[in-house]
Amino acid sequence: MFSQYVNQYISRVKVRISRDKFSREELEYEEDRVQAPGLKKKWFARKGAVFAFIFFLMAFCGAFSYFGLMGQSLRLDEAQSMWQTRETPRAMLNTIAQDVHVPLYHLILHYWQVFFGNSVAVDRSLSLIFFLLTIPAAYMLGKAAFGEKVGIFTASLVALSPFLNWYGSEIRMYSMLLFFCVLNQYFFVKIFSAKPEHRRKGGAWAGYFITGLLGIFVHYFFWLQILAQAVFFFLNRAEFPKKSLSKFIGITVFYILALSPWLYYVFKLGFAANTQPLLPRPTSVDLFNTFSQFVYGFQDNAINTVFVSLWPIAVLFAFFSLRRDRRTAERRKFPTYGGYFLLASFLPVILAFVVSFVIKPVYLPRYLIFAVPPLYVFVVWLLFSKYPRRLSIAIASLLVLIMSAGLVNQTVSAATPVKENYKQVSAYLDAHAAPSDIIAVAAPFTIYPVEYYYKGDCQIVTLPIWDRYAHGPIPAFDASKLPSQISEIAAGHTDIWLVLSYDQGYNSKIKFYLDTHFQRLYDQGFSQGLSLMEYKVRY
Amino acid sequence: MREKDDFLKTNEIPAILIAANYVLASVYFFLIAFYFKPGNPYLFGLLVFTEVFHIWQAFTFWYTISALKAPERKFDPNFNPPVDVFITVCGEPVEIVEETAIAALNLDYPKFKIYLLNDGFVRNKKNWQEIEALAERLKIGCITRRVPGGAKAGNINNGLALSGAEFVAVFDADHVPRPDFLRKTVGYFSDDKVAFVQTPQYYKNHADNYITSGAWDQQELFFGPICRGKDRMNSAFMCGTNMVLRRSAIMQVGGMCEDNIAEDFATSVFVHQKGWKSVYVPELLAEGLAPEDFRSYSRQQYRWARGSLEVLFWYNPLFRKGLSFKQRLQYLASASYYFSGAVILINAILPVIFFFTGQVPLVISTMSLAAIFLPYIFLTVYTLGVATNFSYSYKAIAFSIGLFDAHLRAIVSVLFGKRDAFSVTAKRSEAGNYIHMVIPQLIYDGIVVAGVFIAAARGGITPAFLSNLAWAFLNVIIFSVFMAAAFPQAQKVREPVRVAA
Repeated sequence: MFSQYVNQYISRVKVRISRDKFSREELEYEEDRVQAPGLKKKWFARKGAVFAFIFFLMAFCGAFSYFGLMGQSLRLDEAQSMWQTRETPRAMLNTIAQDVHVPLYHLILHYWQVFFGNSVAVDRSLSLIFFLLTIPAAYMLGKAAFGEKVGIFTASLVALSPFLNWYGSEIRMYSMLLFFCVLNQYFFVKIFSAKPEHRRKGGAWAGYFITGLLGIFVHYFFWLQILAQAVFFFLNRAEFPKKSLSKFIGITVFYILALSPWLYYVFKLGFAANTQPLLPRPTSVDLFNTFSQFVYGFQDNAINTVFVSLWPIAVLFAFFSLRRDRRTAERRKFPTYGGYFLLASFLPVILAFVVSFVIKPVYLPRYLIFAVPPLYVFVVWLLFSKYPRRLSIAIASLLVLIMSAGLVNQTVSAATPVKENYKQVSAYLDAHAAPSDIIAVAAPFTIYPVEYYYKGDCQIVTLPIWDRYAHGPIPAFDASKLPSQISEIAAGHTDIWLVLSYDQGYNSKIKFYLDTHFQRLYDQGFSQGLSLMEYKVRY
Repeated sequence: MREKDDFLKTNEIPAILIAANYVLASVYFFLIAFYFKPGNPYLFGLLVFTEVFHIWQAFTFWYTISALKAPERKFDPNFNPPVDVFITVCGEPVEIVEETAIAALNLDYPKFKIYLLNDGFVRNKKNWQEIEALAERLKIGCITRRVPGGAKAGNINNGLALSGAEFVAVFDADHVPRPDFLRKTVGYFSDDKVAFVQTPQYYKNHADNYITSGAWDQQELFFGPICRGKDRMNSAFMCGTNMVLRRSAIMQVGGMCEDNIAEDFATSVFVHQKGWKSVYVPELLAEGLAPEDFRSYSRQQYRWARGSLEVLFWYNPLFRKGLSFKQRLQYLASASYYFSGAVILINAILPVIFFFTGQVPLVISTMSLAAIFLPYIFLTVYTLGVATNFSYSYKAIAFSIGLFDAHLRAIVSVLFGKRDAFSVTAKRSEAGNYIHMVIPQLIYDGIVVAGVFIAAARGGITPAFLSNLAWAFLNVIIFSVFMAAAFPQAQKVREPVRVAA
């Protein structure tokens, strides 16, 4: 019975492999398998080795996250997620609707907390699970498009990626978005690559539909991936199965209908966007930093400057890709898949950049996290198909080395720009702030992480003063009201401890006012953009 | 596996790809020339000059390859007039000439006469008598010149004077025709307006060593998409070998041009001026030999550069009456390519100037430049791959760029009217160490190293320093690929040339 099942499985694999014109290794392997006796065992040994390697990558990322990232200070966004998901589901939906996000992640996190508790480590582990699942998903994606070698190396890059590891243990929706996007891309590739005899089976369509439906409720930017797929479809519609157009349209219409109650709810509440940090309009530097982060992660300015300024060397990669391709004419063509991965890597980034310029700044590299796996797939495919073997091994090794170093440096370096050391600030306040003091934080929304860590007796207020429990957005900063607000919070207190971070354009004004009206006793930076000051307001 | 004529099999290049190239290049040029803030005005001027050249070359290239399908032409397979077959000889080894002559004897054609056009005597080659003996042995004609002049063109003109068929096939001594060469070419002359039919050159020794492979990779771009594109515009030109000429057309312009060392190129201009048509047949109908050593390769490239630039200076196609606009454009594009030596030098020294002076041509964020340059260059490189059916290699680019000093010498020679003797490309490897011939590139490397230290000491590791370092590094790597050809190992022939028994 078991051997019958194995034979059926192998014959299915054979059919699949033989139609995958780009996975040469698999074809070669398949020839070996057919010709040599007793290779079923070898097949299992080989598959077992691949699975073991993927499992090793997952274990590595799990361990790295546990030892390197779980203990790091809560960041603003994470604190916001934790604060939002502690409310009742109804109140939580209300808050998220006023935010810029869709609710699936918060709902899952809410119930996750109900079952497992709500410590930082527990909440981060939810993101970690999705990130770990992304590793085999990336393997499947790479393999489905270009063969096993590309799949394995793509999974390795995903596991080593400083950028993905960072968001893989952040209490935000990005690793969940990443996971659904990668699966969705996998099913999209399967739809495209299916030969007529397999096209009646709806597995790929069902997978595509479900992952897409989940994706649009994780992040609005999922639509950018759908857009990239739509562009690819219209450029290559002749190569898709029949009736694909009507299916894609049907699925998209369903998505819109499914999302419309939520959009109506958001619209009804009036887009209270002031609860979010102001995003600056991106520049070309941001554009390149995005791709730099996708590969090297978050490095301090000095290291990042080196990486980004050496961009002319990228011309060498184009230069060395030109070579006499000795493969058959069919094989040396730029595969259609290549176009998809190029689109999926760059189009969302470019569109977000353009929208940020033309309409409203929405450009944040983490929103575009789903562009990372297709970028890795594309780069790996380029490396293994367009470069001489020795050069491709050298570049791949260099890439692994740089990404590994970037991962370690990003984790241990105090200068990593995305680190927000509210934990240490709060510990300092715990140790030094007296009950007669008051803590003021600016920008107001940074109260969440400070509040999470601070265990002392001081009152915590915001500047400008904000009542979080009152309906409506955060009050805008008004310089004319600053003296009265500071007098109000200083009244009855000995010292003001000022925590400045996430400058919304007025932090320096607050500091200037306090510097010129009170004696400053303490001034210390804790991480990039996060500083703590103490002012004597009463003797 | 690849087939040897794969470079001729490129289908039509997608219009969207060509259009995207135009758009990205235009955006890049516009922003560089008119939008970004200029730095040092002289350096800015130099940069804009080089960009104008690049845009000119790129636009004409994309225009040329934008359609590769040959126009509908009259071809009569039953048109079989007598043909004289000229094999030009100037000291080449007898066995090489013999292989070509035997192949010519095996041409599948009803009536033709073979002549060895022997220039060995007038060029003091030791084996000129052996060539005569060979002709006698094979019972073919041999015309040995006694009065020098006009180099290869003079040799052909001498042959024309002493032969009589209306159609003449010309082969270099090392270019072995296939039996169907005349069958596939002469039929085009059934159109009375066709003056010459050119076929591709193929270097059968391209896998023999580093130089032959680099030389062949360069040729594939030219004889592939470029010649096919030119053919569409009746602008294909003679390439000295593997061609068939109509005697009356050539005689109408006074024979092959003897004033120019690229006699084929110049004569083509004159022939087209008179309203004659040209045909390019994209089929491998003859196989030849690439230069196998660095000196021969450099000399060949210098000769082509010098000849083409002379046409530009002496017979500028832009002002020649009788040429169509497209023909003017094509000749101008081909001839002006050899100005690239100056352009490459300017591009290479811009980062060096920054190292020593801190002066830059543009005051912009290096990322802004990257944002417009990288898409443009990546797409250009991809288009090169597509156009040549992925035959064109980085080695070909490195050879074209690394040879900037030869192109510069050609520019200087033409500007100052320096006379150069026509030198025949050696058909056998003159293996040796030619490091002394890449001294300009070595000097560049040395200056870069010194400049890096000076710039780092002056201003520290700034983004501007790093990006200029990367540009200089890019040049050094590309030059290195070229310089490797000057080492003795590069000229080592992997497999001896096989000679027909």
